[in-house]
Amino acid sequence: MNTNNIFLPIIIPLIGALCALVSFKKLRFLLESSAFVIAAVNLILAVILFKENISLNIPWVLGLEFSLRLYHFSAFILLSVAGFGFLVTLYSLRFLRGKEYANQFYGYLFLTLSLANGAVLANNLILMLFFWEGLLLTLFGMIAIGNKNAFQTATKAFIIVGISDLALMLGIALTAYLAGTARISNIHLPLDTLGSIAFILMAIGAISKAGSMPFHSWIPDAALDAPLPFMALLPASLEKLLGIYLLARITLDMFILTTHSAMSTLLMAIGAITIILAVMMALIQKDYKRLLSYHAISQVGYMILGIGTAVPVGIVGGLFHMVNNALYKSCLFLTGGAVEKQAGTTSLEKLGGLGRNMPVTFICYLITAAAISGVPPFNGFFSKELIYDGALERGKIFYLAAIVGSFLTAASFLKLGHAAFLGKRSEENKNIREVPLSMLIPMIVIAATCVIFGVFNALPIKYLIQPVLGEGLLEGHNFSGFPTNMFLVAVTVIVLIAAFLNHLFGVKKSGSGLHASDHIRNAPVLVKIYDLALKRFFDPYEWGLKFSRLLADISWAVDRSIDWIYDKFSVNLTYSLSRQISALQSGNYSLYVVWSLVGAMLVFVLFFIK
Amino acid sequence: MMHTLVLFPFFALIILNLPLRVIFRRLSFWVVFALSLIQIFLVFFPQNAFWGTHFNFLNTFFRFNLSADGLSMVMLLSIGIVTLTALLVARQMITDSDRMALFCSLLLIAMAGMNGAVLVRDIFSLYVFLEITAVASYIMIAFDKNIFSFEGAFKYLVLSAVATAMMITAIALVILFSGSTEFYLINYAIRASAHTSLIVLSLGLFLCGFFIKAGLIPFHSWLPDAYSSAPAPVSIFLAGIVTKTTGVYTLIRIFISIFGFNGQSQRILLLAGIISVVIGAIAAITQKDFKRMLAYSSISQVGYIILGLGCASSLGIAGAILHIFNHSVFKSLLFVNSAAVETQTGKTNMDEISGLGEKMPVTAVTSTLGALSCAGIPPLAGFWSKLLIILALWVGGLHVYAVVAILSSVLTLAYLLSIQRKLFFIKGNSEENSQIKEAGFGISLASTLLAFISLATGVFFPFIINSFIVPFGKIFGRF
Repeated sequence: MNTNNIFLPIIIPLIGALCALVSFKKLRFLLESSAFVIAAVNLILAVILFKENISLNIPWVLGLEFSLRLYHFSAFILLSVAGFGFLVTLYSLRFLRGKEYANQFYGYLFLTLSLANGAVLANNLILMLFFWEGLLLTLFGMIAIGNKNAFQTATKAFIIVGISDLALMLGIALTAYLAGTARISNIHLPLDTLGSIAFILMAIGAISKAGSMPFHSWIPDAALDAPLPFMALLPASLEKLLGIYLLARITLDMFILTTHSAMSTLLMAIGAITIILAVMMALIQKDYKRLLSYHAISQVGYMILGIGTAVPVGIVGGLFHMVNNALYKSCLFLTGGAVEKQAGTTSLEKLGGLGRNMPVTFICYLITAAAISGVPPFNGFFSKELIYDGALERGKIFYLAAIVGSFLTAASFLKLGHAAFLGKRSEENKNIREVPLSMLIPMIVIAATCVIFGVFNALPIKYLIQPVLGEGLLEGHNFSGFPTNMFLVAVTVIVLIAAFLNHLFGVKKSGSGLHASDHIRNAPVLVKIYDLALKRFFDPYEWGLKFSRLLADISWAVDRSIDWIYDKFSVNLTYSLSRQISALQSGNYSLYVVWSLVGAMLVFVLFFIK
Repeated sequence: MMHTLVLFPFFALIILNLPLRVIFRRLSFWVVFALSLIQIFLVFFPQNAFWGTHFNFLNTFFRFNLSADGLSMVMLLSIGIVTLTALLVARQMITDSDRMALFCSLLLIAMAGMNGAVLVRDIFSLYVFLEITAVASYIMIAFDKNIFSFEGAFKYLVLSAVATAMMITAIALVILFSGSTEFYLINYAIRASAHTSLIVLSLGLFLCGFFIKAGLIPFHSWLPDAYSSAPAPVSIFLAGIVTKTTGVYTLIRIFISIFGFNGQSQRILLLAGIISVVIGAIAAITQKDFKRMLAYSSISQVGYIILGLGCASSLGIAGAILHIFNHSVFKSLLFVNSAAVETQTGKTNMDEISGLGEKMPVTAVTSTLGALSCAGIPPLAGFWSKLLIILALWVGGLHVYAVVAILSSVLTLAYLLSIQRKLFFIKGNSEENSQIKEAGFGISLASTLLAFISLATGVFFPFIINSFIVPFGKIFGRF
């Protein structure tokens, strides 16, 4: 196969993006069909390239090299990106119909695909950074085209992701300096002092792309303000794939992460905290999309926890969870979009009883919610079991965090399903119908994949994930099939039953599905924390804003005072001096002559001072 | 043949004022015009036969000791340019042909005096030529015969009398210790003489006299009154060249040809220079009358020239001489612009005039160029000469003076740009301005020419540096 074909995944979506951006709004059919065709071609291309192994190094400007590498890992991510890109495009065809920004959305979407493909394929840190930073622009653009608050949210996302990208940039510079090369496949650094700094900086770039805490706070805002397909595509799937892909590359290839290193513990701690805090916030949300967005953050915690364990079972679990999460989370967002399209709102207080109106959407929701809660035999169950295994091996506390997270996840999805699809149906919701077929297909396909990846989990684990680690790291283990550790399975089942009982208790106590978690929300200590959190007290972006305002006020005061010195003080001083000098010019001859004589005396005095 | 530069104006003066002057009256403008053009031409295309010092029949009648070095050439060029400018403006402003003929006669006297002063190499002859120039100047300031111009003329006369007394005393002292009036003989005598106190006394008196003539602070008090009360063409002539020749040129000349520098005299020059630079600029800021503002600006710019001289290095003196030339160009230009505004609006108070830019585009553009050159903005001429002066100060270890000189440029820019803004660029009273037109051909021609010279000198400075600055360095290399 021609090695130049490796450029195609970058170029074809780029052409699609340019076509979409320049297309006329009136030619809707042309826009939609070309978008579909480009997305399909991209998917077919990814399938064709899947088994290829291509490496390409072209000398580039300034001594850098334009280096791309297609191998089993990048091909796997490439295929996933293309698959989600295709399904989201298909879904958007109907969802975006009649929206003003449709052509912009497709333009940014294909640009995102092109840049994401580039970032995945890049085998040079600088080149990867180029694509990675490019994604920041499309992120901004895709949020900004949403509703009237979207621009503010887009700015927030831009600043948060921009700062973490800056950390990535520093990390890349330090890594390239330490390794003496920027070619990723040639870098294998030990985690000494400088190495650890480089590792942390690059990991910040990776986990913030994936949406981990504390770089998460734009995602819940974007869930409300940005177009919904954006949420299904970027925070739910693509960014997780890219972020975790980079994290895996850092931990597996570029740095030598061992179970003894502090970096491993640090990653696990970040993962565990993210799981718990985000899911706690998810539990109390009263909006379909916002609730999902907190799960999008929480699930990243599992992946980081899994990869951070640095033991094979955890890494395999983390990567498998990445795939699974991309699947069920995007499907969950798509069901949210379906509800939004048909009911006109995603506020849980106005929804209810939609299960009878939209049975297919409801079934897809059930499957994916079960998968995310870790119910056997869906895919989420298997990846979580692997992560539990790894976490337990490293420390009970991490296992405990993961299992509590599971409990709360299950509770929140019981609440969401109950509030949206079951319960009483209001009068105005009576006439709601199922969404059209082109929106159903992506949901059905993804939900089906969730089942397949669960029942036949050997398919992804054996053929996609275990090759990433390589035989050396696996040491002959095979993690597919039903979990071997029955203790973990038993605990999981107990936790799930407990979550169900908790839900029943909550419903009985409060009287509705929507308020089923209120007893947790109003628990003694938690109520204060929740109140603060809802006031955005824990949002680092808000801290940053406050700090910037303070800085701005101080700078303003300093600026005013300097300005005063220039504009008022020096001017007034000069003017008063000037007036006094002019006043000396009285027109008195004798005075003039006296001055001249005084001057003459001064001249002679100066002559005689040595 | 250099004698002709002094003698032809005198001959022309006599012929034009013979009883037949009814016939010559119309000719007088063209005579001065031709003489100043020839003077400019002779400097630009030097003829060896003309500038040579060998004997010819004129020397047998007129026993002046004349010679022309680079400094004299620059002064002659400036005299030619400024005289031409004043003449063009006067033609526009003085409508009566009798008075025009009178003005031309006065110009001829002043021109002869200044030409003689810059060429002569004899201290007493220098004094005589200065007096000739000064007498013509008094009459010119009082040309309008109103109370203000008489007052201005009288102030100049009184202060000049003080200066004259000082100079004549100094010359007497010089003759006392050297027995001669020739520059080179005095120079020898100073090197050999033991009469140090007499030398210091004579140098101090010379300095004070020339400081009065040049208008340095605190000897400046006559200058703002004289400049602002004189008629416009006379202001151009006075500010552009008369004070520069009678005060500044003479200072440079006595230092490089007679006395040489020492620590004390250098310090006096630097102090007088820096005080004039700063106080002149500050005083200019609040002036309401733009001619008065330009007068204070002149004091400030002369301060720069004296600073350059005070460096006592060839670089500083080269900068000073270049700044004399540039100053006569841009200050004449600004006074021509003020004459244009004065003729068209009848006012000189800046608060009463505004928004002339649309009505008088040539004046607006040329005065902006002149102001920027004066403030030392590249690539205009004023930038290079100020740069040379400040460089010379820095190289000479006079860092404080250099910094103050640079900061004073900001003040220069402040008052000159505020004048530009008030007169030309802010929106004016359209009713008042509706009758205003561009100034006449003569004034516009003069301002365009001067702006062009200022621009060309700046833009082609790399060529000028080889033809002017390097030769200066050679002439004054011994200091």
